[in-house]
Amino acid sequence: MSLLRINGVSKTFQTAGGPVHAVRDVSLEVAQGECLAVVGESGSGKTTLANMILGILAPSAGEIVFGGTPLTDRRSPAQRRAIQLVQQNPLSALNPKRSVGGSVRLGLDVYGIGTRAERWARVEAALEEVGLPADMRRRGPAALSGGQRQRVGIARALACEPDLVVLDEPTSALDVLVQARVLRLLNDLRRKKGLTYVFITHDLAVVRNVADRVAVFKSGRLEEIGPTERIFSAPEQPYTRALIGAVPVVDDAELKLRNTLAEAP
Amino acid sequence: MIRSLRIIAANPLSLTGLILVLLVVLAAALAPWIAPFPTHNGAIVDFAYANQAPNARNWMGTDLVGRDIFSRILYAYQISLLLGVVVLAIATPIGTVVGLLAGYLGGWAEAVLMRIVDIFLSIPPLVLAIAVMGVLEPTLTNAMIAVTAMWWPWYARLVYSIARSEREEGYVLAAEVIGAPTAHITFREILPNCLPAIITKMTLDMGFVIIIASSLSFLGLGVQPPTPDLGSMVAEGARYLPDSWWLTVFPGLAILLAVFGFNLLGDGLRDVLGVDE
Amino acid sequence: MSDILDIRDLTLAFKGHRGLTEVLHGISLRIAAGERVALVGESGSGKSVTARIILGLLQETGSARVAGQVAFDGRDIMAMHPRDRAALRGTEMSMIFQDPTSSLNPTFTIGRQFAEVMHRRAPRLSRTACNARATEMLEEVSIPDPARVLDAYPFQLSGGMNQRVMIAMALVNHPKLLLADEPGTALDVSVQAQTLRLMHDLVEDHGTAVLFISHNLGVVREFADRVYVIYRGRIVEEGATDAVFHAPGHAYTRALMDAVPRITGVGLPEVPEVSDAFLAPMVRHGSAS
Repeated sequence: MSLLRINGVSKTFQTAGGPVHAVRDVSLEVAQGECLAVVGESGSGKTTLANMILGILAPSAGEIVFGGTPLTDRRSPAQRRAIQLVQQNPLSALNPKRSVGGSVRLGLDVYGIGTRAERWARVEAALEEVGLPADMRRRGPAALSGGQRQRVGIARALACEPDLVVLDEPTSALDVLVQARVLRLLNDLRRKKGLTYVFITHDLAVVRNVADRVAVFKSGRLEEIGPTERIFSAPEQPYTRALIGAVPVVDDAELKLRNTLAEAP
Repeated sequence: MIRSLRIIAANPLSLTGLILVLLVVLAAALAPWIAPFPTHNGAIVDFAYANQAPNARNWMGTDLVGRDIFSRILYAYQISLLLGVVVLAIATPIGTVVGLLAGYLGGWAEAVLMRIVDIFLSIPPLVLAIAVMGVLEPTLTNAMIAVTAMWWPWYARLVYSIARSEREEGYVLAAEVIGAPTAHITFREILPNCLPAIITKMTLDMGFVIIIASSLSFLGLGVQPPTPDLGSMVAEGARYLPDSWWLTVFPGLAILLAVFGFNLLGDGLRDVLGVDE
Repeated sequence: MSDILDIRDLTLAFKGHRGLTEVLHGISLRIAAGERVALVGESGSGKSVTARIILGLLQETGSARVAGQVAFDGRDIMAMHPRDRAALRGTEMSMIFQDPTSSLNPTFTIGRQFAEVMHRRAPRLSRTACNARATEMLEEVSIPDPARVLDAYPFQLSGGMNQRVMIAMALVNHPKLLLADEPGTALDVSVQAQTLRLMHDLVEDHGTAVLFISHNLGVVREFADRVYVIYRGRIVEEGATDAVFHAPGHAYTRALMDAVPRITGVGLPEVPEVSDAFLAPMVRHGSAS
């Protein structure tokens, strides 16, 4: 069953230089429990799409259906709670003047999850779930490393007990070793909690290892969508092939795959 | 707190500022006890000692009706500080709320609020204050109203510029995605990030408010005699320069000392609180 | 072949509130003339400060304590007068940064910025000569309409275009050494791949030596002849690119390689926590020149 359905959604921004079509007539579905990667370069419309799913932007046309109910501009707290976000830049995603616990707790307060007394316990549980010590809730974000901050960002989303998490380039600002650990954590959490991910990224190597399906965006249009396996073995669109061909690779097996794709018609 | 004090103490200029401010505040607070002639803050005449140059009895001399200038300066500090504190206590919250809403909400709120701010800012401050005082009676309360009216827009503009850049930060987006109310986002998320700049500006402004208030009373539009005020003391004495120089020089130095102190301290706080301009 | 850059036992520490913080623990690094060498490491490993020392920028920072030998083209950079070090920058050695758009001055046209760079080497160069030379360089980086670009401001050009302009500007004075700090990281992958290929070919044609600083192993593999891996201020492995990528010898290098997700989809790697093995002695691949 599809948890999220995007139906002919467009978004046009009115600017001084005329209208900009950020997203054009996009339709796709995300099944319960799957990880859909949304791939594209800057200006592809992937972030605009994410913001519409999150309710930060309203679509200019089309509708977004979540759990069978069309989402309107005014979402209920329950609808907001069901869709959460993990951001790209862990440095900016946490308020420097607020303790880690305070940031994670915000959703609990807004949605009224648990009694007031229970909330700190839930915050600590969320921190432990992402591999951080519970007493980190008293610390300020300044003392944390990039990887730790990103884990706090994940804990903040998880504390709200969402069904769908929009991951907006969640590891592209992290070092390689940290990125690998955070990606594993995200995978484990999805399995354990039956979460659904919309994973927005430009990194196809990451996509290959975390996504069930891939949606390729270019200039606001959905170029191609399909199972990860198929997209990487037999991409239909030249643009998809070009994207895969541009990925910097480290081992010979990868190089071989890239070269085969480049030679294909 | 201890750490902040240590940073301030490490910089000789900031330390000078802190000491000057403490001196001024103590002088004002302890005026009734340390002033040699505590009764001279009112309408008292003592012609026997009128217009004396500085001497052992009157360290800073006496004025034309024989009142001790040193005593009057101590009391005048009370008025100056009271005025500064009251003005900032009213102007800062007004300016902060206006700036926060304009900066965070954008759109119509920004257009309307910031145009109002611009109108206030386009009028030269002293002219605005003189206009207010021209309509109202020249009293201490009205002087406060006048100075407040010209002061809040500066805070609106400061907070607006910070709020506008903070609006783009990820933590604001996070709060919006969660659906936190606007009041929470503005006052609980963005405001704490504006506070260092606001506190620094308030410290710097204490000095400037004292100058403006003194300028108003210098023009006869502020605090009225016989209440001692640094500005009116300078104004009165100026007519008897250079012969009775002590009438102007000591109140003038008193203004300088206070303004200098608050400015140096404000600059020091800027470093402590990590405000970048 | 003679070395264009010879760093020996370079140490760096910063003086802070709590005493000295050591950032570089004695690194040694050589680049032969015309050689493309990569310095790979994570953030905070000391790779960017190394570049700043080579450029002679950190030596003038009050809180920095730099020691060791840095010889550039046979001259001792550490002993040089700051003025002489400054004279080297933009002439004998030049630099390309991560974000091309913000490293160009937004208030001047590309043509004017080109002229400024060229005047560092030849102060009397005429305006027409500057323009002719700039046009030539822009053509070399495959910019289609050089005349239009010279009259443009950086914000009127795309990120990829600005990156090419940066490369052209960095090479216009025929430097002996080019320092590239995470070039193209701010660009889209496809644009990044193109510009790196372009840069690769160009420095080969010009015979320019390059110190390529990056955290991206894939990019390094495609660009460099030789690799140094840096971890917490120590070089842990050095060797020809092929050797290091095919047979990484140091535990840290292996962890780094394993951690990179593969487009062949072999799954997410199990990454070791920071281990003592990461501090093991340096591994040197013999065949390296």
